[in-house]
Formats: sequence, structure tokens, C-alpha cells
Amino acid sequence: MQSRRSFLAGLAASSVTPLRGWASVGAPDYLAAALFPDGRYRLAGLSTGGEILFSLPLPARGHAAAAHPIRAQAVAFARRPGTFALVIDCATGTELGRLTAPNGRHFYGHGVFSPDGARLFTTENDYEAGEGVIGIWDAADYKRLGEFPSGGVGPHDMRLMPDGQTLVIANGGIETHPDMGRTKLNLPTMQPRLSYLDLNGTVLEQVELPQAQHKNSIRHLAVRQDGLVAFAMQWQGDKTQHPPLLGLHRRGEAPHLLSAPEAEQSSLQGYAGSVAFSGEGETVAITCPRGNALHQYSTADDQLVAAHPLEDVCGLGPGAMGFVFTTGTGFVGALSSGVQISARSDCQWDNHLIPIRTTG
Amino acid sequence: MRFLAFALAVTLPFPALAQDRGPILTAMVDEHVLPGFAALSDATGTLTQAAQADCAATSPELRAAYHMAFDNWISVSHLRFGPSETDDRAFALAFWPDTKGFTPKALSGLIAAEDGAVETPEAFAETSIAGRGFFALEQMLYDPRFADQGSDTYRCALIQAIATDIDLNARAMDEDWESFATALTQPGGNSPYRSGDEAMQELYKALVTGLEFTGDTRLGRPMGTFDRPRPTRAEARRSDRSLRHVELSLIALRDLAAHLSADHPEIAFDLDGAFDKAITRAQALNDPTLAGVADPQGRFRVEALQQSINDIRAIASTELGPTLGISAGFNSLDGD
Repeated sequence: MQSRRSFLAGLAASSVTPLRGWASVGAPDYLAAALFPDGRYRLAGLSTGGEILFSLPLPARGHAAAAHPIRAQAVAFARRPGTFALVIDCATGTELGRLTAPNGRHFYGHGVFSPDGARLFTTENDYEAGEGVIGIWDAADYKRLGEFPSGGVGPHDMRLMPDGQTLVIANGGIETHPDMGRTKLNLPTMQPRLSYLDLNGTVLEQVELPQAQHKNSIRHLAVRQDGLVAFAMQWQGDKTQHPPLLGLHRRGEAPHLLSAPEAEQSSLQGYAGSVAFSGEGETVAITCPRGNALHQYSTADDQLVAAHPLEDVCGLGPGAMGFVFTTGTGFVGALSSGVQISARSDCQWDNHLIPIRTTG
Repeated sequence: MRFLAFALAVTLPFPALAQDRGPILTAMVDEHVLPGFAALSDATGTLTQAAQADCAATSPELRAAYHMAFDNWISVSHLRFGPSETDDRAFALAFWPDTKGFTPKALSGLIAAEDGAVETPEAFAETSIAGRGFFALEQMLYDPRFADQGSDTYRCALIQAIATDIDLNARAMDEDWESFATALTQPGGNSPYRSGDEAMQELYKALVTGLEFTGDTRLGRPMGTFDRPRPTRAEARRSDRSLRHVELSLIALRDLAAHLSADHPEIAFDLDGAFDKAITRAQALNDPTLAGVADPQGRFRVEALQQSINDIRAIASTELGPTLGISAGFNSLDGD
């Protein structure tokens, strides 16, 4: 672990020496957290083929990460209700420093950089108020600059829209408090939202699902280059219902929800873990670890293209063609015309697979 | 790392061994589920009669009926699926934790407006869910701030409306559970459960969630942190029921766990021993409102109780879950 002093020294040095950008390093294609066979939680850099290029220990279980748009750096977040985030040099796999959530806040596990790489935004819980906030950090020294309301309760995933000026936030709607672990406190009144905010925190658009879907927590996001937003959901209502777990939204329009035929949909146990568009953008997929399945839909007609059985599949990202996925059983694989396993290790790959540069 | 191409079959989950769950499910429904809801609707019937007979907040008969009905609800409150979830019935009976103070707000709103919704059960069922159920009734009966808010007449009508609403809700659950029981014991066909395994998994989930709620929320919420305990956040503390809910829920969950593990005597033994320890600790605590969380010694004892509940949870997830085909996958358990 690096001291704060050496972290700051490193930053000072980096201000006079040009930072090594993504292109100059043998950078990984993806980041993913995992439980390694040594019993430690680590963040790993992966090639498209599933090769582990580096790994470094995390203080506790990780969740997702945000890749810097220019520098070969990423910030890896704790799983909620964690309060740490690690700044990582992705060329070497070393830790450059740490972010700690301020008093009264914890991270939800996701974040995003501004397009110029100057600021980092993080989804956080103001848990005494039970309201979501977006933390703003200076990406030069990772000092906290401030925060603004997320537009809802329980902000989880957050992405930058292709215009570079808009954040799209999955306000999952579920209130939790770290004193009570992960217990959900407000299910009868929960109201998930897809919120669009500018980078100053002004709410531009709030999208809510119909009342019958108010217990369908909007949790994870993917954004296509033309501004189409895909959102994955986790159902908190009656388990005998099998509502859609994937939605698509375009600014200014109504969202539409995508569902597989009843037999497939009912096997998913109301839970989608990750969502991504394919490399070509023609299909969108969700991973469903409780249903042990990856469901792929056409964005042209919202129809299910294929349901692939994959045990404990969860991490998902775009491949050069199709998708790349990871599983809790140690597989890294590709999905284009069919499922192809690229690598297997003794790592239990965690929830998300973060693409850190444009593939293909 | 070597690059290996694996056959797709490698990634398929192993199918759980098919077992006949019929006898266990039938016993669970006949001995655990249905008697609980029948007792609840009996007790809520007595409650609404008591409110009609004497609606004074201090009426001993009304308060006794409130305690009896609330006891019966806590003993089935872990069965939060099927008819309990229909129309948010469980929440309409028990809106807690109320992190944003919706219950007092809803009650004050009704009283200030002398809202006519108290006149018919249909209209009252449409009011804020936070102003209905046992926690709303508790505040009307025990919270000094409602003792003289508004007129006597309106407070009386409100107490009667809450009691009637509780009773209608409990009776609807009881009736629907009678028919839903078949869905559990006869999966497939029209049942939402495709197999006995799925029905068992639903009941296992009720056990795990019930333990989590009692340990993390019923105890965790008043515990807060060592530096900042939150005794005023204890469940139903106004009527001295906080610890009682912990004890009643553990007793009910012990019975559920015994049914779920009936095929596996060693696991049943481990679970029963762990429950025994937790219930003994709860009964020895002698701190009805859990106010002791505010001093180090009392807190230590509540922490020990919480730990004994966590021990039950560990046995449930590592020993019982796998026997029921519950995927113990890294991501499927993550819930994030």
C-alpha cells in the first residue's frame, strides 16, 4: 500500500512529466474485481481473451470501476456500503491513492469521469437523509470538490451520455442505512428513476416506470453512441411475478421494457446483474446470475434473440464483436455468434466487467 | 494463464437432484403457515370488536387486544410472499422502519383535515399506507402527541378505522392463504411454483430474510453505531414491544427452520441449537424497548444477541441452503 505522501509526490511528478496515456501502455481491455484463490478481493486488468495482466488487492469486496478517459488510470469502488475507492495506475497495476467517502456518505460502487478527465463523479448515499447524492472529485489530486442531489434515492450506476455534458443516473429507489447492513427500508414507497442531470447537477429529465413497476429497481446502465440508454432492473416485489428486467430509453421519449417469453423470464428470479450493448450496437444483453442465463435482445424490435445458459454469469461488456462476459465460476468468455469460453481461472469474477478503452 | 476452449456444457449448472418435497411442504403449510394466519385473523377480529366497544386510547381491553393481534402478526410476518404481498398487505399491516416519519405525518394529516376516509373501510384503505396498520394504531394508543390532537370523536373514529382495516387485511390474507397453500403443496400446473424445490426455496428465503430483518433491522436499527446508538429507533418501543418482536420472530423462525430441515437431522440439530441459544439470550435480556443499547454494558448484551442470530444465518446459508438447491454462487448471492 502506498502512503499519501508518496501518492502526492507521484501526482506532483506527473504534473511535469506527461502522463502515459492508454495508447502507450500494454493496457488491459477490461477491469474486473474478483475473489482470488488466495482468499483476497482483488481488482484485475484483463485482456479481451481473459488473460489477467495485473491484479492488486482491495481492502474489501469491490464492485465496479471508472476508467479515466485520457490517463491510464482507473478508480475502483468498494461494494456498497463501502467507503473506499482506489486510484490505480493501469499500466503497472499499482495503487496511486485512495478516496474516502466523507462522513455521512458511502459509495454505491459506480462512478464516471468528466469527458476532459478533470473531474470524477461518484454515486453516494446520504444515509441519514435517505437521499442519493453525486460526489464531485478533482481528478488531479482526488480531493473532494462538492456534491449535488442525484435526483432520487439509491443512485447506483451512472454513465456519461455521448454529448459529454449529461449524466444518466440509475436511482434504484431503495433506501438503505449502513447501520442496518443491506436491509431495504422503503420497499412500499420506493420509486426508482432514470435521471438525466447536467454536470452541475441540474435535473434535465426524470423518467419513472408505470406504478405497477415501482418495485422494479433500476440499477445498471449502458449507453449506445447514439444516446440510446439501456437499463437493467432488480424486482423487489412479489416473487411469483416475472416482470421485465431490461428497459430502453431515449431522451424525451417514454421508456420501453423488454421481456423474454414467460418460460424463460420466470427462470430469472427477478434479477439482472449487468447490462451492455454489443460491440456493433445491434443487440443489448443482460446477465442474470440467479437464473444462470445471459439474455440477448435485438434493439431493432425488442425481441429476445437468444437465451444462453451460463452458471453465475454477471460481468458483461461490449466485445469487438458481440459481448465479453465473466462468471462467478471463473470463466471469461465471448458471445458473438455463439458462446465461446476464452479462459478459466480460480477467480470468482464479481458483478461487473468495465471496458477501459474502445474495443475493436 | 493458458487459453482454453471449454465446451458449453461445462458452464451449465448441475441440476439439483429431484426430491419429493410433498410431505415437508404439506406439514409446513398445515402446521406453520395456515394456523398462524388463522390465529392472526381471530385476534384482529377481537381487536376490531374491542375498538368498537371502547375506543379510548387508554382502554385496557383495547390495548390487550392490540398486543395480542400484534403478537400474532409478528409470528407470521416472515411469510412475506403470495397473499401477504398482494396489494402491499404486509406493509399496510406494519409500516416499519419508518425512516422518514411518514406514520405520524399521515396521522396528523388525517386528524387535522378530519378526513372522512375513516367513515368507510374502502375509503380508509386508499389512504397513505403509513397511516394504517399496527404502527399507526400504536401511536394513536401510546404516543402522547396524539393523546389530545383533534377532537375526541375524530380520534375515536380513526382508532376504529385503523382497527377495522387491520382486521379486513388480516382476514383477506387468511382467506387467500387457504387457497395459496395449494400452490405450495401442489407445484406445477397453475401454481406459480414450477416444482417442490421452488416452493421450498420460497420458504427458505422467508427464513433467511426473516433472520436478516430481526438481526440487522430490529436490533441493528436501535444499535446504530457505538458512538451514536439510536434507542428511539427501536421497533414498537412506545408500547414496550421491541424485544418481544425479536423473541416472537425467533420462535416462529425456529419452527420454520425445523420444517425446512426435517429431511436432514444433523442440520436440524445445528439450527435448533443455534435458535435455542439466541432465544435464551433474548429472554434473558430484560430490556423491553432495547433502550440498553445506549450504555456500553447493555449494548454488549444486545450485540451478543445479534451475533447469535448471525450464527443461525451462517448455518442456514452454508448448511441448509445447499440441500435445497439454493445457488450459492458468488454473483447470485450478491444482490447488487
